Amino acid sequence: MSALQLDHVSKVYRSGDDDIVALDDANLTVATDEMIGLIGPSGSGKTTLISIAGGLLTPTEGTVLVGDENITDYDAKELTRFRGEQIGFVFQTVNVVPFLTARENLLVVGELSGGRAGRKQAATRADQLLDELGLGHRHDNLPRQLSGGERQRVAIGRALMNEPQLVLFDEPTSALDTHLGEQVMELIRSEVKGRGTAAVIVTHDARVTAYCDRVVTITDGRLAETATASA
Amino acid sequence: MFLALREITRSRTRFLLLGGAVGLLVFLIVFVQALTGALIRQFIGAIDHQSGTVLVYSADARKNLEGSRVPLDTVSAVAAVPGVADAGPLGEGTFSVQAGGALRDTVLFASVVGKPGAPTTVIRGRLPHADFEAVASDGNSDKGFRLGATVRVEHSSRPMRIVGIARDANYSVSPTLFTTFDTYQQVRKDANPAAVAVMPSAVAATTDPGVTPAEVRDRINRAVTGVEALTRDQAVAESPGVASVGESIGAIVLLCFFVVVVVAGLFFLILTVQKAQSLTLLRAIGVRAGALVRALLVQVVVVVLGGVVIGGLLGWLALNAAGNSLGARVEIGSLLQTGALVLGLSLVAALGAARRVLRIDPVRATVPGSLDP
Amino acid sequence: MKNALRELRRRPGRFVPVTAALILLTVLLLFLGGLLDGLYIGATGALRAQRAAVVVYSADANDSIIRSRVNETTRAKIERTPGVTAVGGLGISLLGAKVPGETTLADAAVIGYQRPPTGVPAVPPPGDAWADRRLESFGVRVGQTLRLGPREVPIRVRGWVEDTNYLLQGALWVAPETWRGAQNASRPDAPFAPGEFQVVVADGPGDPAALARRIDRATGNETATLTKDQAVLASPGTRQQKSTFNGIIAVTFVVVGLVVALFFALLTLERSPIYGVLKAIGTTTRRLFAGVLVQALIVATAAFLVGGLVTLGLTSVLPARIPILLVGSRAITTFGGILLTAAIGGAISLRRIARIDPVAAIGTGT
Repeated sequence: MSALQLDHVSKVYRSGDDDIVALDDANLTVATDEMIGLIGPSGSGKTTLISIAGGLLTPTEGTVLVGDENITDYDAKELTRFRGEQIGFVFQTVNVVPFLTARENLLVVGELSGGRAGRKQAATRADQLLDELGLGHRHDNLPRQLSGGERQRVAIGRALMNEPQLVLFDEPTSALDTHLGEQVMELIRSEVKGRGTAAVIVTHDARVTAYCDRVVTITDGRLAETATASA
Repeated sequence: MFLALREITRSRTRFLLLGGAVGLLVFLIVFVQALTGALIRQFIGAIDHQSGTVLVYSADARKNLEGSRVPLDTVSAVAAVPGVADAGPLGEGTFSVQAGGALRDTVLFASVVGKPGAPTTVIRGRLPHADFEAVASDGNSDKGFRLGATVRVEHSSRPMRIVGIARDANYSVSPTLFTTFDTYQQVRKDANPAAVAVMPSAVAATTDPGVTPAEVRDRINRAVTGVEALTRDQAVAESPGVASVGESIGAIVLLCFFVVVVVAGLFFLILTVQKAQSLTLLRAIGVRAGALVRALLVQVVVVVLGGVVIGGLLGWLALNAAGNSLGARVEIGSLLQTGALVLGLSLVAALGAARRVLRIDPVRATVPGSLDP
Repeated sequence: MKNALRELRRRPGRFVPVTAALILLTVLLLFLGGLLDGLYIGATGALRAQRAAVVVYSADANDSIIRSRVNETTRAKIERTPGVTAVGGLGISLLGAKVPGETTLADAAVIGYQRPPTGVPAVPPPGDAWADRRLESFGVRVGQTLRLGPREVPIRVRGWVEDTNYLLQGALWVAPETWRGAQNASRPDAPFAPGEFQVVVADGPGDPAALARRIDRATGNETATLTKDQAVLASPGTRQQKSTFNGIIAVTFVVVGLVVALFFALLTLERSPIYGVLKAIGTTTRRLFAGVLVQALIVATAAFLVGGLVTLGLTSVLPARIPILLVGSRAITTFGGILLTAAIGGAISLRRIARIDPVAAIGTGT
């Protein structure tokens, strides 16, 4: 069983009389603990691909399997549940809720869906994750009290909270300096590999690909694979 | 509750300002309603709490007892109307009365012993049985109108003894003395020796069983000339001061409700727009839209209820601290009603914000800058 | 400042919520003020118009015109009081008037007078009256003969006068004997003899309060004399109305301040990144704050103008029963109050603007 399987997935947008093909017959398999780098120029379809993989968009054609769950025909409600249970997301810009502390940002999905027993477990897990991410002393800080790197680590912690099968990273180092970017990538790799979680990392940064098991390029909605050595 | 309360505690200023505005507007509504209720009780309590269920004024009085005078034979004319169980003269007048060591504006309400027009809310003592005995309206003991006290109408030949106290029985915002009609006539003649005759101000009537006051009113208006009969409720509601006060205050209260609803509705809409990034993030990571709408509604309830409590407390304090001579009080039932209405309307106003939340597309979380204000 | 004005011009939608709320509050304030003025002016016109320093009541009247009675003997003592230069009797009866062609009775205050008040011509012949314009809404016209009280005493309308009403009832200014005739016909249990009035108005130079005291001493305390201002306030309900309404108006102004503070706090929050950039390129906190204040004042002004128009429209459709009167001076004080409280409300944002760190604000989003 793979973490992610895209079979002949296409996404077409209608704009007036024209069809815009954002993703064109994409085929991609990501193994359960594999870390994939996804590189491509602006407008190539990277974001569309991870949106479909993460249950934010439905494909126009093809099949999307995450673990053993076929999410191709899920409706909005099912996709919401799916994202909350199976997917971790780290977005490019908006990653933490400004009026929640670091701890609360990790707990937010569990709080809003789990029962009392679930909440207790979630609280313990959140504390553990924050400690592992080097934020043990920052549990009760609000995002404005954290540095950029610390906020990114909170986002990573939140993405891992629900023990997802697949974590999707959208330009995780774009707002960080080189040193910090390296630290974050090392952290991502150790967390992802340590938990046996699959990851897809969208990036412009060639240095990021050094941390990946495999690199896939995307151009005009079409995927092509390029091998790389992991760090 | 988790999201809703966290945001409130961490963005206190905004929510406090809104709660303050709501609280003050609720205070205005509560205060004005309490004052109106008291004014109305003070204006016409005596009419509302006397035993006649139909009151017959002179036709030119324009429903104002002060301006009404009916010939004495009107009493028998009214008594002869089918459906009238009993009828008696009602005298009303404002006098200067020596009470508690000072001269006080006091209203005399007079009826024949055993006939309609006597007070119905005697809480202490008894009704007058003899001349120059009186039941005083409550809330005026500090002015000398106490059970057992003796008062004297200016120029009157005899003092008057207070033998009973009636609740909510003031008239024209003045202490009221319910006495016998003979006493009233004597007092009038003492004040005006040249008076030719002392006419009743109105006739008070009760109805036979199975006949409504409205039916009797209509029969009297058809049968007796020169008069205008009203049911007691009409006499209260359509009393000149009461009608205009009620309408004016009604308009003010309506405006206050409008302001609360507009301010609360717009506040939550703006907040939702400002939080769009966070809300989109939460939707993207798997929080249900319903949960976010619930959080919004919880905030509306917390802030508005907080405002209602503050407004009620302020109203209670203001009415108690201001040497409240009108006996205005914050009625819990009225406060609850106002609070429920404000809350209900605010929740409806927040639907705009709720719609915004439901329209959030979680995929926008992946598009940098798309959620910038 | 220029940027603040540009923002108002180019993104007016941002200011719609606070403007909408302020429009409603303006309507509320003008309505409250209009009601207070209507009640006050409609209740006290007859007294305010008196060309007199003092109003003399009988001592037992407790400052009530209706229950006061001044006879000729007492009046003579008043006339002889040092400092009194003019005296006139005044009697007021609140009666219903039958108007030709109308089914409802007009609320009338028949006022017998000797000394013409401001705006009222000389005493008309018996049976004639100068009618206050308020009676026009009851269908009264010049030349008509009205029938007053239960005995339908006839009174012919000679012409109009303005702002001379008593207790919200339209004044009919008549000769003393006409008044006495109407009063005695409707109230045979409280007749007035020839020469008797309810009150006497008196004029004289110097301090009215001192004159009042002299008169009461001269009459052997048979009278209780009030200055004209005191007499106006002593009109039934006037003092209580004023204090109650002024209290409600004051609270409403505080609400204005809170609402402006609230919405501008939200606006400031939204503009924090922009303020950060502006500070980074050299804009001072003072300038930014001045911009916010200017916006608050412009918004308040626009809201007042629209709210004023809305109030004018509303009051034109209100029933005549509601005694609302929109007066220019009230509009000006309301406008001033709104501007002041809006400025104070806008000032709440000063702290937040001052705290914006240009370095932090320029950073990427969270």
